[in-house]
Amino acid sequence: MNSLFEPIQLKTSLGDDGILFVRNDRIFDTMVKTPLLVASMIIVAALIPIQSSFSSPRALDLIIYPDGSTHVSTEIDLDPFLNDYELDLFGSTIDNLVVIGDNEFLLTTDVIDNSALIQTFGSSIISVEYDIHDLVSKQGRLWTFSLDSPSDFTLLLPKNSAIVGMTNLPINMEIINDRNQLTLSSGKTEIDYFYSINTSDPITDPKTESNNFLYAIIGGVIIFIIVGSGIIIRNKQKNLKPIQNIQTIQKNNVSDIEMIFKLKPDLREDDKELVKFIFNNGGEALESELRKKFLQPRTTMWRAVKRLEREGVIDIEKKDLQNLVKIRKNMEKEE
Amino acid sequence: MKKLALFVILVLIFGTISPSLVNHAYAQNDPSILLRIAIQADKQIVNQLDRVYGDQIPNNVQIIYDKGHTAVQSLDESLPDNLKKAKKDFLSAMNAFMQISRIISQSDIKVVNTSDKINRDLSSEIDRLEKYVKTLETISKKYNVNVSNDFIKIHNLIEKTRNQTDDENIRYDKIIDEIKIILNSIKNDIHESASKHRSDFIKRFFDRLLDRIDQQLIQAENAGIDQSQIEKAQGLILEIKELLSKNQIKNVKIVYVELKELMKNIGYSIRIT
Repeated sequence: MNSLFEPIQLKTSLGDDGILFVRNDRIFDTMVKTPLLVASMIIVAALIPIQSSFSSPRALDLIIYPDGSTHVSTEIDLDPFLNDYELDLFGSTIDNLVVIGDNEFLLTTDVIDNSALIQTFGSSIISVEYDIHDLVSKQGRLWTFSLDSPSDFTLLLPKNSAIVGMTNLPINMEIINDRNQLTLSSGKTEIDYFYSINTSDPITDPKTESNNFLYAIIGGVIIFIIVGSGIIIRNKQKNLKPIQNIQTIQKNNVSDIEMIFKLKPDLREDDKELVKFIFNNGGEALESELRKKFLQPRTTMWRAVKRLEREGVIDIEKKDLQNLVKIRKNMEKEE
Repeated sequence: MKKLALFVILVLIFGTISPSLVNHAYAQNDPSILLRIAIQADKQIVNQLDRVYGDQIPNNVQIIYDKGHTAVQSLDESLPDNLKKAKKDFLSAMNAFMQISRIISQSDIKVVNTSDKINRDLSSEIDRLEKYVKTLETISKKYNVNVSNDFIKIHNLIEKTRNQTDDENIRYDKIIDEIKIILNSIKNDIHESASKHRSDFIKRFFDRLLDRIDQQLIQAENAGIDQSQIEKAQGLILEIKELLSKNQIKNVKIVYVELKELMKNIGYSIRIT
């Protein structure tokens, strides 16, 4: 005798009347909306850094002058619904404080002791620059830099300075215009240094050693993305209907520097210098190279590069964890 | 399709956790930096010991130096394979050298803090001012503030000071004060010129904010919050809107503080969190 109930999986076809039932092995196709799932994952992935980044510096760069005074430049992500923000300064003897909000808007600031009350009025990023005289002390010939930093930071030491003691492990070190620049982690840091004639040479540039683990991760991600994109594109192409009206945008091939400036007449003079350098450098340069060339702090250069990207003059790509800036081959004319 | 969905999810999960892995790896990408810093510190300490004590190095200092130097040697041997030990050796060496440098310096002079103006170096002071001038120049161009003559004057004063830093007859502090006075006046001009942009900017901000508070009040009403409180908040919103239309920004801020407090009492903090 035939069983009264036949498992649905065994049915060869449900036909038009079988729409009330679904096959278990097709659950992803029918019940779970893949685009919805993917979009949710992207939103979650994007929100994780945002949630943890409000009111925390996205970059902090310090430059020590030969007399021990220090220039601080930092960029801070803010909640765009705040009308003011109280910034803890690293000391009370502050000079030349400038706070710039979105669209390079000069923000009003009141300094009271060790803090600055900034009227942000909805700025989502603020850029703060000031000189401070409290971070370095001197005893005899020994200079001591001390800071309790809320985030990782870079520290550019004066020319001819030689480190003779430090309490933390550096994350990285670079040579910028014959000066040592350390990247240090958050927390308390003390660095002792002398000025020296004998060891005036900065510590030699670190040779680039490959890190297998790091490259394995990057390589893995790239392969994943390439393979995934391939599959997605192939699947899409199968389903794509021919597009009838393709909107054409007139683009201009950029062959010389004057053409770029003609297409983008409103570029700032300092930005033009950057573009010239990148163009003459074979059309691409690392952001760190630009910083070294133009002697700009990380934050200032980052803003300049992002500005040029917004203007459609350059593209920014990642290369070995660094930003590679490339002149766009096709540029749209500015209205 | 199932495989594709699983694949995309895997990529996204991996993409979410990978930044922390990359940061961790980056911190260790060139451990030889530690050795270079330690060797330079070692050389520098030897120079300092030679300068201060010659051949008569005190015993306690010699012991600390030997400890530091041994740690540098051990650091050299630990790299590149034993990173954990290398880090320990580095900190041990730098701690020893730090102790020596402080002992050497204690015998010198009292502690000087750079917050005292008298200890600041003229050349550094000019460098700092020049940086500040450049920042203000960029901002003034953005707002088309007509202060180019002031900037020319400042650049001339800076150049004059740079070229004559050794001339004892020149009162540099006076020149620097003069530059600072001009800079303050430029800053005021920028604030004045930017006031139109500023009030537009503030109005846009309050428009966004008041819309949000409006929505919160609807939620509060649905949640059964005291109607009189909600009406009071709505009244304050109208007051702010009226003040904004009259461009009375100072009064807007005062009323906004009141509204913010009221919203807190209602149970809605005005934040995006």
